[in-house]
Amino acid sequence: MKKEKQVKIEVTDGASIPDSSDKGLLNAWWVSFIGAVGIISYLVITKPDPYRDILLFIPDGIVVTFEVTVCSIFGALIIGLFTGLGRISSNKFINLIASTYVEVVRGIPLLVQLFYIYYAMGRVLQVPDMLSAIIAMSVCYGAYMGEVFRAGIESIDEGQTEAARSLGFNKQETMFLVILPQAWRTILPPVGNEFIALLKDSSLVSILAVADILRRGREFAAESFQYFETYTMIALVYLLITLILSRAVSHMEERLNHYDR
Amino acid sequence: MKRIIVALLLTIFAVTPALAGKKVINIASDCTWPPMEFVNKDKQIVGFSVDLMKACAAAAGYEVKIKNVAWDGIFAGLAAGKYDAICSSVTINEKRKKVMDFSAPYFEVQQSVVTVKDSTAKSLADFKGKNIGAQIGTTGYFAIKAVEGVTPKSYDEIGLAMEDLYNGRLAAVVCDDPIAADFALQQEEYAKKLKIAFVVKSDKAEYLGVAVKKGNTEVLDMINKGLSAVRADGTYDKIKAKWFGSN
Repeated sequence: MKKEKQVKIEVTDGASIPDSSDKGLLNAWWVSFIGAVGIISYLVITKPDPYRDILLFIPDGIVVTFEVTVCSIFGALIIGLFTGLGRISSNKFINLIASTYVEVVRGIPLLVQLFYIYYAMGRVLQVPDMLSAIIAMSVCYGAYMGEVFRAGIESIDEGQTEAARSLGFNKQETMFLVILPQAWRTILPPVGNEFIALLKDSSLVSILAVADILRRGREFAAESFQYFETYTMIALVYLLITLILSRAVSHMEERLNHYDR
Repeated sequence: MKRIIVALLLTIFAVTPALAGKKVINIASDCTWPPMEFVNKDKQIVGFSVDLMKACAAAAGYEVKIKNVAWDGIFAGLAAGKYDAICSSVTINEKRKKVMDFSAPYFEVQQSVVTVKDSTAKSLADFKGKNIGAQIGTTGYFAIKAVEGVTPKSYDEIGLAMEDLYNGRLAAVVCDDPIAADFALQQEEYAKKLKIAFVVKSDKAEYLGVAVKKGNTEVLDMINKGLSAVRADGTYDKIKAKWFGSN
């Protein structure tokens, strides 16, 4: 059978992942990367006041941004796994719960969810600010991740399940020992993408008084009134981080494709 | 051609009243700061400084239009010429004076510390190792930052900081005394749990002023003229009594 050309339409909030076939030295990634590094160094060297001061003001914000992002992606993976399994479950009740969760979460803007979870949870439970931010991000991204898991699991040929079942595996064993290890390869690239999207969206937690990159920048601007300079630097720092991450994700994708050949 | 003429005429008609009538000063306020400036249940911008600005305008013969603008970025908007002035409980200080001009002071404030009822703290240093919140870029926030050993937390709105204090994520909140009084004493839920513990000691008196873009003397003169007029004829005291009670 002739292998069909796969058409992948990417409609996501993630950074554009550099395509491995695009090997040109001057592709968009390199232009952006060299541009970002160049502009940052140029500004810091030629105008240390305020650019160097801004750069020195935000490192703890970068740490917080990564903390929120990494913790949230793990939270989202766990929630996503169970949501994905729930969505394909033959148990009508579990299926309904998982589907409703996805429906509700996807229908509410992330900013509103953050406010809601943070302040609503505050009234009921005593949860520290950082943890509430992470929970809110996990709950939101868990719904999107659930769809990734569902698609990944469904991409595995029906025959695999049939074979495993006829070899005596029960339903759980089939899922966790046969299907998921294979589905993982389909799931991983979008997860990398979601990670970058999550990192960018984590700037929203700055409204919760979590001192991330954006919050630190706003504090700097509020005190120095150098809004243009501060936000220029903030934008460049975010761009640099996502560029590095998107390169890492693209490497990961290439490694995974390696097995397909 | 006819259409163009009609359109031109319409524009002229629309513009003329503004030219012939009184000068309009556009003022930005972050209306999350009761009782100084806030949005009431009818979605109207009200408060002490709102009444004051309107009285000044009436006394000095101009009109004011007040716009609700988020605090974070309110100064950037002034610099960009999006409005003529900021009347938003802006404390006059040296750092701000470098980038904007201020009217005559119209109110004196102190930084009050709101905390839970059973707290025994007498100064900000007593909150060592704890989180203290304030609105971003306010004198309250700078006061916290000046204290060694406490973690300052900046919020977009003072109300969010108060909610976090109420929920136990913060040990205290620092803000101007009229606002502290409004939140901690007037809001029923908060009043049950919160109190104003003390005032941050400062060697300098803190005054609020109306900020205009650096060098905009035209607007500044009009506002100052209005301010001295309302102070002279007793309107100022009436407005103050309306919002803060007599004395």
